Amino acid sequence: MSQRTERRGIHVDQSDLLCKKGCGYYGNAAWQGLCSKCWREEYQRVRQKQIQDDWALAEKLQREEEAAYASSHGVQTQSHAQSTPPHPGHASLGPFSKFEEKKTNEKTRKVTTVKKFFSPSSRSAPKKETQEGKTTSPSISRHASFETDQVSRDFVDFLKNLQKPGREIHKQCRAFIVNMSSKKDLSAEELSECVQDFYQGMADRLMSHFKGSSDSVEQVMDQVEKYIMTRLYKSVFCPETTDDEKKDLATQNRIRALHWVTIQMLCVSMDEEIPEVSENVVKAITDIIEMDSKRVPRDKLACITRCSKHIFSAIRITKNEPASADDFLPALIYIVLKANPPRLQSNIQYITRFCNPSRLMTGEDGYYFTNLCCAAAFIEKLDAQSLNLSPEEFERYMSGQASPRLNSSEGDWAQTGSALSVTATNPVLAQLNHNLELLSGLSSKQEKLMEAAQSLQADLLSWPESVEREVHDILEKYPLEILSCTVSAIDANNVDNDNLPPPLTPQVFAG
Amino acid sequence: MGENLPRVPGGAQLHSDTLHGPVRTLRVKMVILGSSGVGKSSLALRFVRDEFKNPSPTVGCAYLTRVVHLSDVTLRFEIWDTAGQEKYHSVTPLYYRGAHAALVVYDISKRETFVRAQVWLKELEKQYIPGSTVMCLVGNKGDLDQERQISVQEGQALASDRSLFFTETSVLSGDQISELLLGIAHRVYECIGGQQGGLSEWKETPLIDLHHRDTFTPFASCCKVGP
Ligand SMILES: Nc1nc2c(ncn2[C@@H]2O[C@H](COP(=O)(O)OP(=O)(O)O)[C@@H](O)[C@H]2O)c(=O)[nH]1
Ligand SMILES: [Mg+2]
Ligand SMILES: [Zn+2]
Repeated sequence: MSQRTERRGIHVDQSDLLCKKGCGYYGNAAWQGLCSKCWREEYQRVRQKQIQDDWALAEKLQREEEAAYASSHGVQTQSHAQSTPPHPGHASLGPFSKFEEKKTNEKTRKVTTVKKFFSPSSRSAPKKETQEGKTTSPSISRHASFETDQVSRDFVDFLKNLQKPGREIHKQCRAFIVNMSSKKDLSAEELSECVQDFYQGMADRLMSHFKGSSDSVEQVMDQVEKYIMTRLYKSVFCPETTDDEKKDLATQNRIRALHWVTIQMLCVSMDEEIPEVSENVVKAITDIIEMDSKRVPRDKLACITRCSKHIFSAIRITKNEPASADDFLPALIYIVLKANPPRLQSNIQYITRFCNPSRLMTGEDGYYFTNLCCAAAFIEKLDAQSLNLSPEEFERYMSGQASPRLNSSEGDWAQTGSALSVTATNPVLAQLNHNLELLSGLSSKQEKLMEAAQSLQADLLSWPESVEREVHDILEKYPLEILSCTVSAIDANNVDNDNLPPPLTPQVFAG
Repeated sequence: MGENLPRVPGGAQLHSDTLHGPVRTLRVKMVILGSSGVGKSSLALRFVRDEFKNPSPTVGCAYLTRVVHLSDVTLRFEIWDTAGQEKYHSVTPLYYRGAHAALVVYDISKRETFVRAQVWLKELEKQYIPGSTVMCLVGNKGDLDQERQISVQEGQALASDRSLFFTETSVLSGDQISELLLGIAHRVYECIGGQQGGLSEWKETPLIDLHHRDTFTPFASCCKVGP
């Protein structure tokens, strides 16, 4: 480049082209007059400093995080927990520092519940926690969940990008968690209200901070939800104050009792004979079961959505047209019956209580979640009519006196046409059936093998006889004639032998 | 694509984007209720297929979206199809929680679907919070005039009694479909759009880079070193 401009006759001072660092290489305007090497070094230096600053902040947040965690769990023995007491006041934190004022100014019910967390009663909370800390080993609870720690780290990493407001968000989330852990006696509805109020208050403040950019707010709120709900999960999922657990058991038993319900009874348009369809069915079942393992409401929703998408695919492949609600709901009911998802009621309740409500009432996730609620409600109320059965039939199936699978074939299910419908409804039965087929195939092979072995044995037994017979025949054909003959040495006739020289004898030479 | 989108007469030509800054997009949840076979799914699909840009759904048509431009706002309809079979009626109320619009559809050639529509309306009214849901009665299959069992007057009277929006449509011929959607859009925006927390905003790309939102950007340094 520089060579070319010189050739064209434009005078360029050689020194202008060299690296500004004076290393002797050519510089480049794109690198601010530096050579590539010096530029990289310069860039690296600035970035390095930035990374260090970020880390310093992240570590600070982390320490505060741990200190807060320790104090909420009555652990004061960790040295760093005491070395960095949380800063009492942040006078210069912009919109966030005004939160307390704003709260007292507003007169809505919403704000009064937020206030609960900063009221004197909540300040006595740590004491209560300390007592509890004696009974449960802090080190165990501290390391109880690697996931929780990871989420906390991610949260801090995320917030450090926001600098000071990030710290403030972090502080408030922590304070909220500490306060929540002292509110175990609240009813589930009250817990839900607290969390929702916190979301609302946080979102309002973020809204004013980001000057109305709702997408930034949403992004932060997602992280806040993730952090808070991961932390609170254990205490607010299926809380003792509710009968969630009882409902879970009831639903689980109900689904078990309905094991005999077939895909035909529910009028589901999924043909599991098609491999691609049954693949999607299996995936849908896996997804809905996986929901229980997630902690964040949004992650649980995502499982439901994935499950639903697989169902849509299965219907689409079967019918060769897009699935409508008439197809989807029965199919989802069928999947829930097959999956018997763990703690279904608790999960639905948890999502309802602690997820951002607009995400449940609107949007695609909301649609699938609503359908899951419908499926659960339907299963609870399901009766003879809902399956197009007579009440007597329904009763007999429910009591186990009869099974729809045995009806036509009276127990001979593996051999008649009903076997098809059996395999279509239950993967375990399908597997059993398959294994039976394999077994019967094996036994017929074994029979053949035995036959072959027996014939081989017979052959072996008859073989010596046949050989004997053959020998006999040959002997009869060619009777043995023994000719008399004089026995002599093989060289008996060799007369020249005597003329041969004697054999060589070894000689010893003196050396 | 502009021709296919319903717009407010008069306001349609104005490009609010340039005159008044970007147009807000608000989310509208619309539930379609009615007996099996009245044409709920077909109606939902028709709403969507009417839109030029929107390709026909590939996987499912139970949840569909359709954007409607009004003069100073854009509404993003989230259309919830429901299972119409009798046996699911008891769980259907779960669908219309928080709906901004509810369409109750019947088939003009089947009286029992009209009776069922009245049951839906009663149910909806039980849950009704004034000003929170726009309800609409729709007599579908208007093309089956010779098999008509419900007169236009009868439908109109039921709607007037309850001061509902009423129209007869034909998904088959496409008659009154876009008018229906536009009518609902106006009503929803007038009744709910102005309320605090009535309609939430929709963002096309919810993921933006927060790093560059704040005063201090960690990677600003690389820009300084560069040109
Ligand atoms: N003649 C006529 N048939 C229609 C109309 N709308 C829907 N259909 C038909 O009615 C049947 C049921 O429609 P569908 O959308 O599945 O009803 P849904 O059960 O309410 O969802 C389908 O065969 C449609 O083709 C219409 O406006 N006119
Ligand atoms: Mg339908
Ligand atoms: Zn250099």
